Order: sequence, then C-alpha cells, then structure tokens
Amino acid sequence: MREFRVFQRVTAIATMALALFAFAINATAQDKKIKIGVIYDYTGPLAGGGSDLQALGAKIMIDHINSQGGVEGYKIKAIYADAQSKPEVAINEAVRLIEQEKVDMLLGFYSSAQCVPVAAKVDALKKFMWITTCISPAVLKGRKLKYVFRPQVHGGQFGWLSVEFLHANAKSKMGVEPGKLRLAIIHEDGPYGSGVAGGNASKAKELGMNVVLKEGYSATAPDLSSLVTKLKRKRPDVILHTGYNPDISLFLRQAKEQGLKFKALIGHGAGYGVADKLYDALGNDVDHFFNVDPVSIWLLDPKSLKPGLAAITEKVGKEYVKAKPSTKTKSAHVGMAASNAHVFFTDVLPRAIKKYGGIDAESLRKAALETNIPVGGTLLGFGVKFPKTGENDMMGQNTMASPVVMQYIKRKVYVAWPKALQTIDPVLPLPKSSPYTK
Amino acid sequence: MAEFSEALFSIFFIETLINGLLLGGVLALLSLGLNLIFGVVDVVWICYAEIIMLGMYTIFFLYKAGVPLPLAILGGIAVTTILGYLTHKLVISRVLDAAPINQLLATGGLLFFFQGLAMVVFGIEFRNLGVSLGSLAVSSDIYLSSTRLLSFAVSGVVVICLYFFLSRSYLGAAIRAISQDREIMTLMGVDTKRLYLLTSAIGGALAGLAAALLALQYDIHPFIGLSFGPITFVICVMGGLGNMVGGFLAAFVFAELITLGGYFADLEWGYVMAFVFFVVTMFIRPEGLFARKS
Repeated sequence: MREFRVFQRVTAIATMALALFAFAINATAQDKKIKIGVIYDYTGPLAGGGSDLQALGAKIMIDHINSQGGVEGYKIKAIYADAQSKPEVAINEAVRLIEQEKVDMLLGFYSSAQCVPVAAKVDALKKFMWITTCISPAVLKGRKLKYVFRPQVHGGQFGWLSVEFLHANAKSKMGVEPGKLRLAIIHEDGPYGSGVAGGNASKAKELGMNVVLKEGYSATAPDLSSLVTKLKRKRPDVILHTGYNPDISLFLRQAKEQGLKFKALIGHGAGYGVADKLYDALGNDVDHFFNVDPVSIWLLDPKSLKPGLAAITEKVGKEYVKAKPSTKTKSAHVGMAASNAHVFFTDVLPRAIKKYGGIDAESLRKAALETNIPVGGTLLGFGVKFPKTGENDMMGQNTMASPVVMQYIKRKVYVAWPKALQTIDPVLPLPKSSPYTK
Repeated sequence: MAEFSEALFSIFFIETLINGLLLGGVLALLSLGLNLIFGVVDVVWICYAEIIMLGMYTIFFLYKAGVPLPLAILGGIAVTTILGYLTHKLVISRVLDAAPINQLLATGGLLFFFQGLAMVVFGIEFRNLGVSLGSLAVSSDIYLSSTRLLSFAVSGVVVICLYFFLSRSYLGAAIRAISQDREIMTLMGVDTKRLYLLTSAIGGALAGLAAALLALQYDIHPFIGLSFGPITFVICVMGGLGNMVGGFLAAFVFAELITLGGYFADLEWGYVMAFVFFVVTMFIRPEGLFARKS
C-alpha cells in the first residue's frame, strides 16, 4: 500500500513536471518568430504603378499565415520598409533591415532596377531573399547567386509569350502571315523594360518575325511625341509595350492625339497590370488591349488548383476589397505577391524548420532548392522548382513559372492565351470602335 | 545614312518640328512664372513645379466634385496664387538676405514638404481628369494635339500680356525697376516687400495656368514635379535666369532639340542632345543664351 502511495506521488510529480515542461516548450514555441524585412515602394511613382498593390498582397498573406498560428511554431514578424521608388533607397533599406533590425530574410521588391543591385548585396551578406515581383532576367542571369530565389515569372518569358501569341494568331485572326506582321517594341529603359523587350526581340528573331522598331525611353520622360511620330512612320501592325505608369497613359494619350493606328497592342505587366488606373485615365480606349502577366488568381478555375487553395484565393480577394473598397477590377498584382509569398510560407519555410532545423539563410536555401510544387499547387496555378547548381544560368529562378496573355474588355479581364487556359477567344485585330484601329 | 535621309524627307519630319514647337509652348509656360519670380525676388523657387502639382490636384478635385472645368481651372489658379503669396510671405521673405545656398535649401525643403503633403492628403494614386480636347487633323498623316495647341497659344498670349504689363503699367515699371536695382528702389521709398509679394502671387497664378494645361495632358500624382522641375530650371538658366523673353525662347530651343534628337535617334538621345547643348551654352555664355551683354 505504501509502495502504491509512493508510486502515486511519483506519478503526480512526474505529470506535473511533464506538464510544466510541455508548457515551457509551448511558450518557447510561441515566442519563436521569424523576422522578415518586407520591401516595396509605398511612395514615389512606382507605388501607384502597382507596387502598393503588390505590397498589399504580401501583407494579406503574412496576416493570413499569422492568423493560422504561424509556421511550425514560428510567428512571422514583418518589418515593412519603403524603397520610395529609388534603387539607392532600396539598397539602404535592405542593408538597414539586415544589419540593424537583424531580420532573418528579405521578401518583396517590385522594381527590377532595385532588384538587380539589392540581390547582389543581400547575397554578398549571406542573407536569404525571396522575390515576389520584379521580373528582370538581369537579377539572376549569369550571377550565380546562392541565397536569392524568385518563384515569379522572369521578364524574358513575358517577351517570348506575346510574340508566340502573335505568331500563332497572325494568320487566323489578322489574315497576315506571321513573318509579314510588322512589330514595334517600345519599353522603359530600365532593367525591367529592357529585359522584356529583349525577350520580345529574341523570340521574334527565332520565329522569323519582322521588328520594324525597337526603342527604349525613360519612364519619367515628359514627352513621347517623337516616339509616336516614329511609330507612325514605321507603321507597325502590333505594338509590344513595356512600361510603368504614368508613362503608359502618356504614351497612349499622345498616340491617340497624334493619330497612331495599329491592329493590336500588347502590354507586359506593371502599369498594364492595373486595369482600374488604365480605364480611369483612358476610358474605354483601353478595351481590347492585351496584357502579359502571371494570371490573375481570380481568373483561374478553382478545380484546376490543389484542394484548399481556392478558399485562400477567395480570402485574399475579400481582404483586397476591404483594404481598397473602390476597386472595380481586381488587379493581378495583389494575387501575384500573395501567391508567391504563400509558396514561401507553406513550402520553403516549414521544410527549413523541420528538415534543416532553422531559419538561417543556409537552411532556407537548402529548403528552397528542394521545392517541387506541381502545376496547380500554387494560387497562380503554375508549379515551382528551382534549378540545381549548374543546371542553368539563372540560379534561383523558378523553372515552372509561366505568364498568360490577358485581354481587357469593358473593364473585365479575360485569359486569351495559352489556349488551355482561355476564358475568351481573343479579339484580334482591334475592332472598329477603338480610336487606334488601323 | 539612308534611314536618316528617309526620316529627313518624310512628312513626319514636319510633324516633329511642329511637335517641338508645341512642347516648347508647354515648357515656356512653365518657365515664365519661375523666371518672373527670380528676376524680381532673386530667389530660385526649386519648389515651383510642386506648386503646379498642387494646382493640378485642385483642378482635379473641383472638377470631379462637379464644378465646370473653366471654374475648376480658375479655382486652381486662385489656390496657386495664394500658395505663391504664402510661399514668399512665410518662407522666402525670411531668407531674402541669406546666402543663395540657404535660399536653395529653403525652397528645396518646401519641395519635399509639398510632395509629402500631397502624398499624405491625396495618396499615391494616379489621378486623371479624363478630359480630352482631341486633335486637329492637318493631313491624313499629321494630327496635332489640341491641348498642346492650346498650351502654345496660351504661352504666347501670356508672354504678350506680361510684356505689356511690365512695360506699360505702373506696377510693371516698378517690378522692372526693382529687378534692375533692388537697393536703390528701397532708398527711393518703394515698398519692395509689397512688390515681392505681388510678383510671387503673379508667379503663383502662372503656375496655376500651367497646372490647368498639364492636367489636361498628364496623370496627376505627388511626384509629377520631378518630370518638369529640373527641365524648367534648366530652361530658365539657359535663357538667362530672370530673363523672361530669354526663357521663353530657350524653351523652344530646348523642346526642338528633344523632339528632333528623339526623331532622328533614340528618344533618350533627344534629351542627351538638349542637355549637352545646355552645358556647352553654359561654357560659352554662362549668363544665358539670350542674356543681353552688360
């Protein structure tokens, strides 16, 4: 009997000790946090050109993950920083976040002009950087960066797709042999515009298409009338345009006033990705323009996605409208950042913690290199897989990302290409109702 | 070479020349007010383009609130006139005797203040009046922007009005006199403070006029001043700071260089040519292209 009492006491003490231990463990787990520096342009011209929407998408996802209890016991502590639409500020902020705020990693970046120098700097500091947005190939191409990863589509792919789309539809839609279609490539002259335009040009050359003009301009140029005049002289059928805002609306306004005519216009993300702004500035003249971008997450068939993702898409949409109640057409920008951030928080980070035991750059890097998400496994629909060392010259670039061609009609966005994802048979050439119709 | 001669003998060369003139009209209007103020007060308002930006916002919000566009424009001009007045009264008058660098820093500070204020109050959204005046078809190939034609006409009218105001009116004569010798005017009993305030208000009104014409052509955002501020300043310097006719003519020279350079080479080359021309001008005639030799 005495032995039984002793046993009872020992059991009680052990239980209490275990409970205390579990409580302590739990408390430690709750205290764990991953500090992430989130950098976008909250001010300056790029903010209204799409960066604030990207920032919103990332924030919605961070809040969502935290509301679900964090990741493997880690809460996400985001420190938001403003790059002010200036590369030098982006670099300074990145260094400040790493060296003074002691963040574990960086996430975000809208502008390629910022991404190119920041990526090199962060990699040199041996910190992990997860790019949600900027697309210039120059960020990763040939640089062999170890700690910089980009699930996002790269700019070359934007450029290739628009030309492939035209090549496939020139004869059937416009009655012109693809080789005889006159293409003009115009772009802002930073890494973003140059990267996409380079993709346009290389694909046109590969497919034997005729580029009658390729020209860059400064996104802050106060006048584009000479460019419009030159386009009028070259008489292109299709204009492939890559720009931010407000250069896009300045170009389109001056093109209309100077009587520039064409059969189609294809934009490539950034300013063209903010349909509301385009319609506000130019009214229905925007109708039937195309935009190449990762697909807007709200246009995807929920059945094509992994179970559970459709609900997250819906939640992101609700939070988006709550934050911006005047939204008429949901921009692809928000979904893009939300999806790319979601990949990190649900795939890379859990693996880094569970398999590699931490959130240091090396663990995150190893975890990212093992990412293998099939098609349909992300909110954006495409898969995610990064190349192994030496596999190609763009280390850290998602090899499974792909954009789509979308078309704007009466403030609605439709997927026009590739055929498998079409929600509309593309309207080509521009109908007579457009003031730009050739 | 074949490309060059084809471009030269194309109908579009004529269009480029005309577009240069029309752009010159816009830039001339921007430089008039800045030059007037510098000529009289002897302080460069680095923040001048930001006053224009605030005028654009005023016109936008009045118009969107249902005020007819002409009245909205008058409202914009009224606001920039008051801003011009207040800028002098509250800031410039306190640094009139300070070193030029301090004056530059003060107006530079105002520039950031106005930008920040616009961002906080109006947000970072791009706004647009959504008004188009269309274009004028000269031939089947050449169309001219009606807004640019209007800017050109307004610039011309304003410079003529200013000329008559400065040469024929009592106040104008006083303003000209003070711009020639500010110290002697004080000794002669002229109220220079009042004249400075009046000039600043007129400069502000001209900013409002420029705002009206820019709002018809450009998106409105807190940073639009960055696109025009530096160019306006360069034009004023090129024409001879304080020399209104010089600035007016320099605007057309600068605009033609931009458009012609952009037409014959890449667009960016137009700006390169214009700025190289500016640098060379500063070496050869540091007092400005159209400054009279004393």
